[in-house]
Parts: sequence; structure tokens; C-alpha cells
Amino acid sequence: MSDTLASPVKKPTVDDIINSRRQNRAAKGAFYTLLLIMVVWSIKVTIIEDTDWERIGSLGKVIAAANRFIGIDFSLFPSLIGPTLETLMIACLGTLVGVILCIPAAWFGAHNITPYKPITYPLARLMMTLSRSIHEIVWALFFVAAVGLGALAGVMALAVRSIGFIAKMSAEAIEDIDPGPVDAIRAAGGNDFQVMIYAILPQVLPQVLSVIIFEWDINIRRSAILGMVGAGGLGLVFFRQMNTFNYHGVTSVIIAILLLILLGEVLSYFARKAVI
Amino acid sequence: MDRTATPARTWSRFKFPDSLIRYGVWLSVLVFLAYTVEYLEIPLDRLLGMLGRMGSTIANRYYPPDIDYIMDADYLEYVLETVQMAYLGALFGLLASVPLGWFGSYNMTPSRRYVYPIARLIVMGCRAVHEMIWAILFVTIIGFGMLPGVLALMFFCTGFAGKLIAEEIEAIDMGPVEAMRASGANLFQTMIFGVFPQVRVAITGIAIYTWDVSFRAATVVGFFGAGGMGWYLKRNILQIETERVAAILLSILALVLISEALSAWARARVMKMK
Repeated sequence: MSDTLASPVKKPTVDDIINSRRQNRAAKGAFYTLLLIMVVWSIKVTIIEDTDWERIGSLGKVIAAANRFIGIDFSLFPSLIGPTLETLMIACLGTLVGVILCIPAAWFGAHNITPYKPITYPLARLMMTLSRSIHEIVWALFFVAAVGLGALAGVMALAVRSIGFIAKMSAEAIEDIDPGPVDAIRAAGGNDFQVMIYAILPQVLPQVLSVIIFEWDINIRRSAILGMVGAGGLGLVFFRQMNTFNYHGVTSVIIAILLLILLGEVLSYFARKAVI
Repeated sequence: MDRTATPARTWSRFKFPDSLIRYGVWLSVLVFLAYTVEYLEIPLDRLLGMLGRMGSTIANRYYPPDIDYIMDADYLEYVLETVQMAYLGALFGLLASVPLGWFGSYNMTPSRRYVYPIARLIVMGCRAVHEMIWAILFVTIIGFGMLPGVLALMFFCTGFAGKLIAEEIEAIDMGPVEAMRASGANLFQTMIFGVFPQVRVAITGIAIYTWDVSFRAATVVGFFGAGGMGWYLKRNILQIETERVAAILLSILALVLISEALSAWARARVMKMK
């Protein structure tokens, strides 16, 4: 705004304003029409052509199919405690390993402290995008192939999947720091490592901690499904119940997941309060 | 503060009860982590050799990605389906999450005792259940195809956008709302003329972001039969066609990069309009 006030621009006439509004309205109209066409086309392809309505049958049949899930298999609950604990632990360890892996990514990815900008900066950005764009299921499959079945694959999958978000937010926090303390420590003869510990870390710590808590919360959600591809936890029980057509058991597992996530939400609420 | 202190006192950053709590918390976290490693039976000795093994796995099996495979017309059609699924899922999810965000915002909800907790619970439920579980549930209920994928993405996006929209509505300036109420506007009028103009830009930003997230989820909901390219991925993983898997992963990466660039551009445009 300020530069338009400073530079002597030609005052727009009424005709100019009307014209620009008309153009704006035309562009908007075209945009909305395009959106509408895309919606109609997508609905036509996905819902009308691709769906096998004969197989779905009537609404009553769908409701009957959904009804199979209503009901809880209480006998399953004692055997769910172990996997629930395992899921929580995988989430905790995965977040921790993710945070450790994040340190280089955030350091290289913040463009005010990256060691050698032409190489390390794009490298870190690539790491972040790679980590975020591949779904946790795919990462888990990859790590199951690399380290074998079990919790380690789940932990590594979550760790790698967490890098993207934590490193991106931390790098943005680092880019926003006040450069004063950095200069002060440099002037007093501190090396790069000391600058990081005493000037950068104290400034970004609250933000980074709240990002980590947020990611931990999401990781609980993610670790609950990793078992489906052989990485331990509740997902394995879910998959087994599904494959044996014990639909009430499926509901029980979902309730266990919900309770665990509720616990995670409560814990992360208190943790965030303690941080801030 | 303490003027009578002896000169031999040594400085420490935290005073007695504080320091005990602080170190106690750290110690218990460490014990918990050690116990976790023990409980999950994580082979720490294999952890070190993992990197080398992963490197050789990638180099030997995944390395020349089978680019011809992903240039195939059939595959590209599935990619298009994935985009359409993501689009519809995000759209329906947003349509559901605008009223839910309204009902679930503490300051604007029609009834704090009944509607607010219900809306919050629905949004939390949608968020808590992972999109893969939604996909599996819908596949069991209505069978294979793209409709269960759209429904799964819709629930996922409702949870995602509902929370953000509710937070956005909670952060508005209450002045216009009170002015409208004072002049006798009803619930819908305050919503449309008092609240909506304030959150319009934010909701557009959230919508773009939701599309982005929805697309990422759409690439894998096909894994359990809900349409899109996830099915291709699963088939090739099961057949251990690792070079094709690498190619598919590369195509996902490229698509996500494109969608990220598009959404960044669109968000910048929206912010400029503000």
C-alpha cells in the first residue's frame, strides 16, 4: 500500500474502475464455471459411471451392511491393552527419532543458517517434500522390506514421515529469529555449534516444542494403522478382525483407537500448556 | 532477595524443588523410553546396519525406475481418477465442515449446551479415525470402487477442515456480530453478514490446503480397494515389481509437487485479494 501512495500514479477514472470491475467479474465467472464443470465431470466419472449400483442395491441393503458394525465385542478388550500400549510407544519413539532426524533437515533448510546455500538448502527442502508426500503406509511397507516385520519398521516409518512437518516448521521458526544474539555470540568468539546452542535454540524452542507435541498427536493416529502392513500395534488387530469378519471386534478396535487418541489429545493439551 | 546468604553459595539455574521436579521428569522420560525399546523388542544392533542395507536395497532393486510403466495410458487414467476423487472428497468434506465449524465454534454456536459438543464430537471422530480405516470401512459397506474412496476422503476432510474452520470462526472480531444482533438479525443473518465476510479469505485458504491434503491421502486409499492409483501401488508391491513401485512412487512425488506448487500459487493469490 505504502509504495502506491509514495509514487505519483495516475488517478483512476470512474471508467477505469468500472472496466476493471467488469474484467474481474468476468474472470471470477469463468473461474467458477470451470470449477462447476470439474465438479460435474468428476461426479459423472466417479459416482455415476464407476460405481456398481447394482451391487450396492437399495439404501436398505447399505444400512444393513453398516449395521453389521453396530455392537461391541467386549471379550476382545483384555487382549487390546497390549497392542494399544504398543501403538502409543511406537508413536512416542517414532516422534523422538523423527526429531533427531529433523535436526540436520531444519539446520540445512533454514536459509539464514544453512552451511552452503546452493547445495544444502535444496537438499533439505527435497528431504522435507519427500517425507511429506509419501504416505505413512508406503513408508511402512518400505521399512518392513528393509528391516523386517515388527515395531522397528513402524518407528522408522513414523520418524521419516514426521521429518517433513517438524523440519519445515522449525526451519520457518529459525528463519524468523532475531539475529542480535547470533551476532553477539559470534562477536564473543563462539563457533557455529555454540551459536546454535546459545543463540538459536533458546529462541525457537517454544515453537518447536509445540510443533513436536502436535506431530506426536498425529503420530498416535498414524501408528494405529501401521499394523495393517506388518509394523505392529492396533492396526494388526484391526486387520485380523476384519479378515475374520468379526465386525463387532472391528468396532471394539476402533473404540480402543478413539480412547487412545482422546488420551493423546488430553496429554498434548497439558503438555502444550506446560510449554507455553 | 535473600540478603543474608553466605558468600560460599554456588549458583544453580534451578532452585531446590524446581530442580528436583525438572530432573525427575527427564529421568522418568528416559526410563520410559528405555522400557519402550525393551517392550517393543527393537533390535538395536540392527539399527546401525540398517542404513547400509537400505542403501543397497534401493540401489539393487528399486534403482532403474520403470518409467515406461507409468507413462501407460491405463495408469494415467487411474491418476486422473485419483485427482477427481481427491477433488470430490475435499469438496464434499468442505461442504460438511462449514456448518460443523459454525456449530462447533464456541462463540457462534446456536446452543452451547447441545449443538456445540455434538459438532465437536463429530469433527473429532472424523479426525481421530485415520483415512485408511474410513476407506476400509466404506469398502466393506458399499464394495470396491471410487465411491468409497470419495466417502473416506470426505470424512477425512471434514475432520481436517472442520477443526480449522471452527478455530477461524472463534478468532473473529465480535463487534459486527453484536451490531447485527442489536439491530435484530436472526441466526442466519448474523452468520451470513456478520461472520462469513470475516472468515471468507481464511476459508478459501483452508479449502486449498484441504485439497492438497486430500490429494495426498487419495494416492493411497486405493490400497484397500477404494479406487485410484493406490491399487496399482499395492498390486506391484505384492508382486515385488520393485522397479515399477519406484516409478509409481516417483509419479506420486511429482504429482504432489505439482499440487503443492499449485496450492501455494492459489493461496498467494487469495492472500493478495485480501
